[in-house]
Amino acid sequence: MELFRLEHKKLWRKNTTRICVLLCFVYCVVLGSVLVYQWGVFGSRKDNLGGRNFDGYVNIRNCQAYFSKYGELTDETLQAWVRDYQRLHAALKKEKETQGAENKETLQTYQNAGWETVNSMISTLYPELEQEEMHYVMIMSCYVDPDKLTGLYGRREKALNTFLDVSGQTGGERAYLLQINEKVQEPFSWKWVEGWSDVLGSMLADLGTVMALFLAIVLSSLFAGEWHDNTSALILTTKNGWRKLALAKVFTGLSFALELFGLLAAGMIVSQLVFLGTEGWDMPIQTIKMIAIAPMNMLQAEIYEYAFTLLGAVGFAGVVMLLSACCKNHVLAFLLSLAVAYGPKTVKDFVPYWLEKAFDLLPLVGSGTDIFRTNTFRLFGHYIWSPYLLIWVPVLIGILCMPHAVRGWARRMRV
Amino acid sequence: MELSIDRLTKHYGRKIAVDCVSTILRPGMYGLLGENGAGKTTLMRMLCAILEPTSGEVFLDGSEVSAMGATYRDLLGYLPQDFGYYPNYSAREFLLYMAVLKGIPRDLANKRVKELLEVVDLGNVGAKKLRTFSGGMKQRVGIAQALLNHPQILILDEPTAGLDPKERVRFRNLISDYAKDRIVILSTHIVSDIEAIADEVMLMKKGKLVSQGTVPELTKRAEGKVWELAVSPTEAARWQEKVTVANLRHEGEQVILRILSDGRPAEEAVCCEATLEDLYLQSFRE
Repeated sequence: MELFRLEHKKLWRKNTTRICVLLCFVYCVVLGSVLVYQWGVFGSRKDNLGGRNFDGYVNIRNCQAYFSKYGELTDETLQAWVRDYQRLHAALKKEKETQGAENKETLQTYQNAGWETVNSMISTLYPELEQEEMHYVMIMSCYVDPDKLTGLYGRREKALNTFLDVSGQTGGERAYLLQINEKVQEPFSWKWVEGWSDVLGSMLADLGTVMALFLAIVLSSLFAGEWHDNTSALILTTKNGWRKLALAKVFTGLSFALELFGLLAAGMIVSQLVFLGTEGWDMPIQTIKMIAIAPMNMLQAEIYEYAFTLLGAVGFAGVVMLLSACCKNHVLAFLLSLAVAYGPKTVKDFVPYWLEKAFDLLPLVGSGTDIFRTNTFRLFGHYIWSPYLLIWVPVLIGILCMPHAVRGWARRMRV
Repeated sequence: MELSIDRLTKHYGRKIAVDCVSTILRPGMYGLLGENGAGKTTLMRMLCAILEPTSGEVFLDGSEVSAMGATYRDLLGYLPQDFGYYPNYSAREFLLYMAVLKGIPRDLANKRVKELLEVVDLGNVGAKKLRTFSGGMKQRVGIAQALLNHPQILILDEPTAGLDPKERVRFRNLISDYAKDRIVILSTHIVSDIEAIADEVMLMKKGKLVSQGTVPELTKRAEGKVWELAVSPTEAARWQEKVTVANLRHEGEQVILRILSDGRPAEEAVCCEATLEDLYLQSFRE
């Protein structure tokens, strides 16, 4: 315990560690969360060029207030939303034509109505309504006939089946996926989706990728740094200098991964609670992506994505420590660690599908957003929905690496 | 206590760093002498069980040291030639860290660290960061860490490098006291350090242990081979080319040469008492 305490203290005393943690916090929490809420994504639009005001907090409240009237996603509420959206769109157009500029209040309400997620919903479920000759061809909610938006949940089933057909997911795999989908409860609770969509689809999805860089910087020198500091001869001639120190180092690396994650997660959750609050936590993730099959609400999805990142970070920490224990050069250990995390990500698109899926099982290579997808693995004749494996395999890889790191360190030391 | 070295050999590829060294060490101070690359550091690292020998074994009281593991390391104190440290640590923190690695309980470690900082004359700078220390101060921290666990076997590789004369004397006295009931092995290029304190001297050459014995025993081998000759300054240069000159000093108009030679180099040469340095130079003169 004393050794662990001292190793932990030693790691945190390094300037590299402190700078890395600070940069990681600034990048993920300040830039990637607080500023995104207040300005980058959720600030109200200044103009059509994408400029935003620094008013995210108020804008989010307005958006949430606008959607609070719908309650549930049904044919009627979807049609009501489209009608309202088209009314606002037409009003803005008219104001621009007659007055030369848009009325601020109309523009504000129009912005609050959002369009991205609902538009995606309409284009997925009613593809035949798309009119290629329309000016706003991609923004179907501007021109579709609201009365034609009927049979929403039946359409969803059809869209899901079509998607599975196109993806070649047939037979047992299709039955397995549809069996998961059966647990999705209808009708969907429907509130403002954009906030959750950004949290689950972007902020949390990128957290692991960023953490990988900083974990690699800090932990690659955990073992290999002793060679750089030239302390190995001293350490190895001490009573606890072999396995016990290696164990203390492994626990230190593990604890650092948890602490870094805890710090980032705490910062991001606090800013999420401040800006988004808890409204909409019980909406199913299908309101973000209609053909998702996971019977999860937003809160469950968020917990999954945090758990995915945490377990991935622990797994990655194990891999980095193994590399650090096996390399005498901490720069080489760092480069190899980066290669483990970012190499597969870079080449994923150019390798056979089975290899791409195998890469996803490496720590912090796959994505927590797989809960929105219908990917499966086939093991011993059984289909397994990918998120089940993606969450556990990386951490198991890391745990397997840890005893090897201890052994590798002991072996490397006896030269 | 008996540390027995049995045909210890280390090869690095085709290079033989230590060549079949065998000896038995009992409590006392052993000085390891040899030129650069003679294999002193390699031998010491193998004695510390951090370097695996190509062949041969080291036994402590009949037990093979690498098999003894932590039990052996608990008896060991080691100061490597170029020891590393953590620049952001103070001397006190570094020693406390090493104490924990050596398995010393925290309370005892605090006491021992305080005591050793005084012993190596760093008591007043114990809180300063190691990166601010001079080479000699760092060396003293290294000596202190080697002594933390009251080792029964103390192995010091060039411990006096970087120490000023006052500190060297202080260190010699400290180690001299320490070696009474322990095995202390010390390597250095400073022959006078070994001459002053070593009970036995081990002379290494090209990986082999060429001589071992007490200082009088070894210097006896050089008896009758050390001469003093007074010459003019112009002749001094000629003599230096001709024979091994161990020392040269000016006395008035003359230069006194200390010559190592198996026979009398000149009629006027006077035979004088041999020192360890003479033996060392004689051994390595080719």
